[in-house]
Amino acid sequence: MSALTRDPSVSPVRRALALLGPLRDADLVVVAAALGLTGVGVVAIHSAKAASLAAQGLPATFYTGRQLLAAGIGLVVMVAAALIDYRRLRPLIPFAYLGSLLLLVLVLTPLGTSVRGSQRWITLLGQQIQPSELMKVALLLGLAMLFHETEGIPGLGRTLLAVGLTLIPMALVFAQPDLGTSVTYLFLTGVVLLVSGTRVRWLLLLAVAGIGAFLAALRTDLIRDYQLERLTGFLGADAPDADLTGALFQTRQSMIAIGSGGTYGRGLLEGTQTALAFVPDNHTDFVFTVIGEELGFVGAASVLGLFAVLLWRALRIASQALDRDAMIVASGIGGLLIVQVFVNVGMNVGLMPVTGLPLPFLSYGGTSLISWLGMTGLLLNVHLRSRQGLIGGRW
Amino acid sequence: MTRGMVVPDVQERTTVLRLAFLGGLAALLLAALLARLWFLQVLAGDRFAALADSTRLRTVVSAAPRGHILAADGRELVRNRPALALVADRQRLVDDAGRPRDDESARVVGRLAVLLGLDEEEVLDRINDRRYSPFRPVPVAVDVGEAVLLTLRQNQELFRGVGTDTIPVREYPEGDLAAHLVGYLGQISRDELADPAFADYRGGDLVGRGGLEQAYESDLRGRGGQQVLVVNRRGAVIDVQSDRAAVPGLDLVTWLDLDLQRAVEEALAEGIVASRSILRTDGRLLPSTAGSAIVLDARTGGVMALASFPSYDPREFVGGVSVAYWERVNDPEQFQPLTNRPIAGQYPPGSVFKVASGAAMVEAGLVGPSTRVGCPASYTAADVTFRNWNPVAEAPMDLATALKRSCDTYFYDLSFRLWQQEQRQDEPDEVLQAVARRFGFGQRLGIDLPGEQAGVVPSRAWRREFWLRYREGYCERAEAAAPGSLGRELLSDLCRFGGLWRGGDAVNLSIGQGDMLATPLQVAAAYQAIANDGVLMRPTVGRELRSADGALVRSIDPEPLGDLGLTDAALRALRVGLERTVMEPGGTAVGAFAGFPLGEVPVAGKTGTAERDPRVPYAWFAAYAPADAPEVVVVVSVEEGGGGSQTAAPIARRILEHHFGIERVGLAGFVPGPEILD
Repeated sequence: MSALTRDPSVSPVRRALALLGPLRDADLVVVAAALGLTGVGVVAIHSAKAASLAAQGLPATFYTGRQLLAAGIGLVVMVAAALIDYRRLRPLIPFAYLGSLLLLVLVLTPLGTSVRGSQRWITLLGQQIQPSELMKVALLLGLAMLFHETEGIPGLGRTLLAVGLTLIPMALVFAQPDLGTSVTYLFLTGVVLLVSGTRVRWLLLLAVAGIGAFLAALRTDLIRDYQLERLTGFLGADAPDADLTGALFQTRQSMIAIGSGGTYGRGLLEGTQTALAFVPDNHTDFVFTVIGEELGFVGAASVLGLFAVLLWRALRIASQALDRDAMIVASGIGGLLIVQVFVNVGMNVGLMPVTGLPLPFLSYGGTSLISWLGMTGLLLNVHLRSRQGLIGGRW
Repeated sequence: MTRGMVVPDVQERTTVLRLAFLGGLAALLLAALLARLWFLQVLAGDRFAALADSTRLRTVVSAAPRGHILAADGRELVRNRPALALVADRQRLVDDAGRPRDDESARVVGRLAVLLGLDEEEVLDRINDRRYSPFRPVPVAVDVGEAVLLTLRQNQELFRGVGTDTIPVREYPEGDLAAHLVGYLGQISRDELADPAFADYRGGDLVGRGGLEQAYESDLRGRGGQQVLVVNRRGAVIDVQSDRAAVPGLDLVTWLDLDLQRAVEEALAEGIVASRSILRTDGRLLPSTAGSAIVLDARTGGVMALASFPSYDPREFVGGVSVAYWERVNDPEQFQPLTNRPIAGQYPPGSVFKVASGAAMVEAGLVGPSTRVGCPASYTAADVTFRNWNPVAEAPMDLATALKRSCDTYFYDLSFRLWQQEQRQDEPDEVLQAVARRFGFGQRLGIDLPGEQAGVVPSRAWRREFWLRYREGYCERAEAAAPGSLGRELLSDLCRFGGLWRGGDAVNLSIGQGDMLATPLQVAAAYQAIANDGVLMRPTVGRELRSADGALVRSIDPEPLGDLGLTDAALRALRVGLERTVMEPGGTAVGAFAGFPLGEVPVAGKTGTAERDPRVPYAWFAAYAPADAPEVVVVVSVEEGGGGSQTAAPIARRILEHHFGIERVGLAGFVPGPEILD
């Protein structure tokens, strides 16, 4: 921090502005990609809900207004996360982790809110939040802290501790049930272990153990029938004789919507499948169908392109991080991004089973958007305090 | 940890390597998504766009009300009424093999059977009726009673898959009047559905069968409505993409006079039934199995009435005809009531044909209209003797008198001489056949009713073709017959010379016998041409087509088919002869018109008694009236009805009496002619 911000003779406004000073060196590509994706998401949510909102006599801004509010909060969080030196945040990480864990437990109590059989939300200060989204960040930070203190190759103890830190929230999320998010945790931990230098043979051993556990779960009642049906059934969604009443309905409808967009799409607000709500949840988990139908292959590929840019920047920032935990956080954010984009878009286009998982930045949902903008802030933070930031030299 | 801690180089290199691995994995996953998007949107985009349409669009078809059929004065002969039908959901109740889909379906079928008083198999047959589309509810019973409906409505849960529907059915305010003219409706058949002519029909559609319903199918049918609805995923209608309202079929206004039609049907039926009590000279009663009656407008050829006996009831066809009734109306034992005899019955015309042969003899130059020719009791040509109906020789007579007396030998002589003339020609003119065709014989006249027959005007070419077809049969039978028998002689003659047009053929043809066949309609058209100053008109039932709101859409103008090509003198001779037949003492129909006010309504006509061994002769009477300014043409024919003056003429008289409003004083019921003349 510069001396300006501490000089009592300088006016408070100028001091506040000076606080934002480091942002001049922020990675603008990251900011642009994140805000671009958020903007596309708001437009897509508007298109997805315009017709049905009008039909219900609700204002057209019913969903977009809330999403924009979340975006505003998210921006503040992003700026804060970028400015506060991550090294000062380290002591808070255990509280973040334990707090998130507590919320996850509360979700499963009668305090939690259930929608269509999944208990994922909890009402806090009048706002409905999804703790599993917060846990994602907390877990990432926790793991980063864990491996930050190791030198060289992490030992067996730490590795097992990392697995333990993952399995606890994972079990809680799995119990909601939310298969998609719990798989995300697993993938996140895998990425952290990978970049933190864990021995390759341990990684392989863990992968084998994971697969074994999954197969074992299949034989018990842990994985429910409908989940299994979703896991396998989506493969036949475009067969002409597919039973469209069951789990395949959503996949089939979403493929029809995306496919009917063609190369250039039907145009914004022109999507018939979107407007007629043929695709359920097309403002949340299936928001990509709106982009596919209305903006076509060109639009859908562009959105994937923005994700690719963000991912590239995340990995680049990771490689330039000065601290081990900063590197882990940046690459973990990249890993989270890729797994969520692949699982979510994959289920939209019929490549992956239908599991509840939002598309980062785009899906309607305040907690998800705020936590993704927050993670963007962390990326900026790491960047500002990386070799690249130091070379910039103004701070 | 302090800022600027130096990460060991080895560690850093692995980290970069591991990050690169992560980047590669991410690139791979993104590439997979991109490839999938390319497939869905670019390669298969059209298919998915079509799928999108099919998931959000629903087509609802509405039937167009069928046009009505009206009499000339606008009275309704056929209209529509809504009927309550019990309909069954085939896909829900039966499987692909047509058996009940499950236990519940079986119970529903059982309950339906009890409710309708049918056995279960009959109910299943109706549900499985392949004439209906599986996607539309199948009518199981039409016009069900109130009690049945009430039972169904109060016990919906016992009848899952069964519902009610209102379907328009044909209604006949005049009952079975003009059944043959009207025709009926039937389910479109599978063969028809495959026919391009029925391209816009669907399974379960009704199509006109027989009569005007068939002839004017395309006008009466109208055009079904089609609504394309946009629905959301719950099937709720969001919007209407296109809406084509059903266009009701056109109303057909005919030439029919319903009162006259009723009178004609009654006169025909009563006359035929009454004639059955006439004792023939051979001690048998007249069979009078069936008959036809036609009334044409003399100027236009419009069909004012047309009756076929025996008849049927078109109401039996409403909602589907029963097998039993179908078999009955097609049963030869019952004389096939479904056959429309006036246009489909082909009989030897007998003496009613003499107008054509008389005209031909004048045209051939053998006689002038006033040339007298002998009328002996018999005529011998080429060793064969042909008898006149009158065993007493009459004085030589002109053409008009020959018609009045229906003298056969007059025509024998002229026709034989004409045949001798033509035999000498390299290419015979065949004047008699040519004139017959100008009168409308030997061809379909093109009446706007289905099933019209062409009849036969035998000629040299026809004879030869016929013989070539049957020669082998004649020869084989000649071989088989007992040597020296008459049969063998006749058959071996046919075997060798059957292809020749001989003098005897010409003699027979001159009086409408031999191989000559004509429909009652052709006879009516021929007499209409005589009444219409020699212009033959196409007989037509339809007069105009009007839209449902009464606006004229198309008028069916009277259509001349040709001119008889007669000189005024020849035409006058025919008309005088026909007038004398009815009105001058000695005319063959005078007896049948005894007491008829001929002073007020002069009648011209011709009797005919056509031999068709071994059957009882076919009775004919053809007439027009008033003779001096013809309004109507009436033709009656009775199969195996004996003499024309005896059976047919009295029926025609009743018809004329009705048309001209003549009171029958003191005479109730049918009075047959006094004696067999002609």
